[in-house]
Amino acid sequence: MSLLEVSDLSVAYGDLVAVRQVSFAVDEGAVFVLLGANGAGKTTILRAISGLVPARSGRIFADGRDLQGSAPNQVARAGIAHVPEGRQIFANLSVGDNLSVSYLAERTEAPMTAALDAVFQLFPRLAERRRQLGGTLSGGEQQMLAIGRALMNFPKLLMLDEPSLGLSPVLADLVFERLATIRALGTTILLVEQNATCLELATDGIILANGEVALAGGRDSLRDSEFVRRAYLGI
Amino acid sequence: MSSIETTMLPVLQAVLSGILVGGVYGLLSIGLSLAFGVMRIVNFAHGDLVMYGMYVGVVASTLLGIDPLLALPASFVLMAILGALQYRIVFRRFVGHTTLNQLLAAIGLGLALQMAAQLVFGVDARSAPSMFAGSYDLVGPFFFARAQIVAFLVAGVATIAVELLLRKTQWGKAVRAVADNIEAAEIVGLRSQRINLTAFALSCGLAGIAGTIMVTYYPTDPTKGFTLMPIAIIATTIGGLGSVGGAFLGGIFCGVIQQTTAMLWNSALQDVPLYFLLLVFIAYRPTGLFGQRSE
Repeated sequence: MSLLEVSDLSVAYGDLVAVRQVSFAVDEGAVFVLLGANGAGKTTILRAISGLVPARSGRIFADGRDLQGSAPNQVARAGIAHVPEGRQIFANLSVGDNLSVSYLAERTEAPMTAALDAVFQLFPRLAERRRQLGGTLSGGEQQMLAIGRALMNFPKLLMLDEPSLGLSPVLADLVFERLATIRALGTTILLVEQNATCLELATDGIILANGEVALAGGRDSLRDSEFVRRAYLGI
Repeated sequence: MSSIETTMLPVLQAVLSGILVGGVYGLLSIGLSLAFGVMRIVNFAHGDLVMYGMYVGVVASTLLGIDPLLALPASFVLMAILGALQYRIVFRRFVGHTTLNQLLAAIGLGLALQMAAQLVFGVDARSAPSMFAGSYDLVGPFFFARAQIVAFLVAGVATIAVELLLRKTQWGKAVRAVADNIEAAEIVGLRSQRINLTAFALSCGLAGIAGTIMVTYYPTDPTKGFTLMPIAIIATTIGGLGSVGGAFLGGIFCGVIQQTTAMLWNSALQDVPLYFLLLVFIAYRPTGLFGQRSE
């Protein structure tokens, strides 16, 4: 059974339809990518899954559970973590508090210190900056913090909205490297990207254009598609 | 005694009395500051909860025959419950940005509370002296009313407790996270509505404590809350809206200015420099001395 199943999802802002009849399923252990240009509806899909925007129609099931009408905190408590566009860390809280406030005892048997240790092992930089305010971190460090915060609840599914945006190529590589580690540790990943280089990491995914699914398939069929060649490689 | 001492001693006395009075102004203000800092709610009904806190002391003293200081926990709990109800019914709709509708709702609520107090308690001034009433302490050349010393201590302990609660506990971190970014707080699993409700209840509970402690040396009537609001607003503006410790220091600052003005000039005009300071701060330093960045 799929970990996440989205069927015929449509989302509109007023009269503007941002997402139209999108369906896809993310299997356990997958790295599923939502690839598409700016304005293709990628962020809106993640926000609908998290309950931050209401769906106009369609269904979203996580682990067989209907997420319709769930508040964002309930989606998070169901094990679906969201690393939002623009990171959205708590700027006035220290790095340590950003992480500890995101720990929910009901999600896991592991004590908070174990969760903190796991995050610091993945991102040693955060341990060094533990007492610093979140708002004073560099962009790359904020991205690490946003991912670390999402991991504090031992999610089953980690959704990331353009984690490489605005990062130097070196830092972007580091972030993707860590995502590979997170996946190896058993977390399923749903990755939103504009950049087709993320296909290296992917198992499968869909390509979105103007709010609709333009193409769905495994990594290789996406990479070799006319669509990706034209849009991203310029050939 | 030299002439410098004879002029300076009364001023110093006024400064020290001002600090004591100001501590309680600080306690009035931290609840107001908390509601604004976390939810961007300017609660004009806050003073009326202080007034109800004063009547809790009056009821304890006259009806139950116990010392009003022993009613402090009850006052905190009652006003916290009243605050939670207010949040559920009214302020829940206005979280996140101060709007004209929010201000009007708060003023309307305050007036309703005031009318209700008039119906229940009448319009006459009432007081509730504690066991410390009428005692004075001499410290060197200075003297202090013991009721005010006790009030200052209660205010100081309450302020430190709130600061520790916000800084050190998981609940406090959650409150600050919701204040910082409510959407991000939700997606990491924090129940923002429930957290706001408890923060608002705490803010109102503090108003209750402030009222009960104040009525031990200062008589109350149903309009008292409204007349106390300007001081609380000035103290939070000077201290910095949203900063708990800042609001406490702002309250002390107001108390000192008030008492020295009364001593050097005229007690009928004791609040005039405060209003002037309020204008200066709003014009030149709207974030106050310890306030958060404004958006």
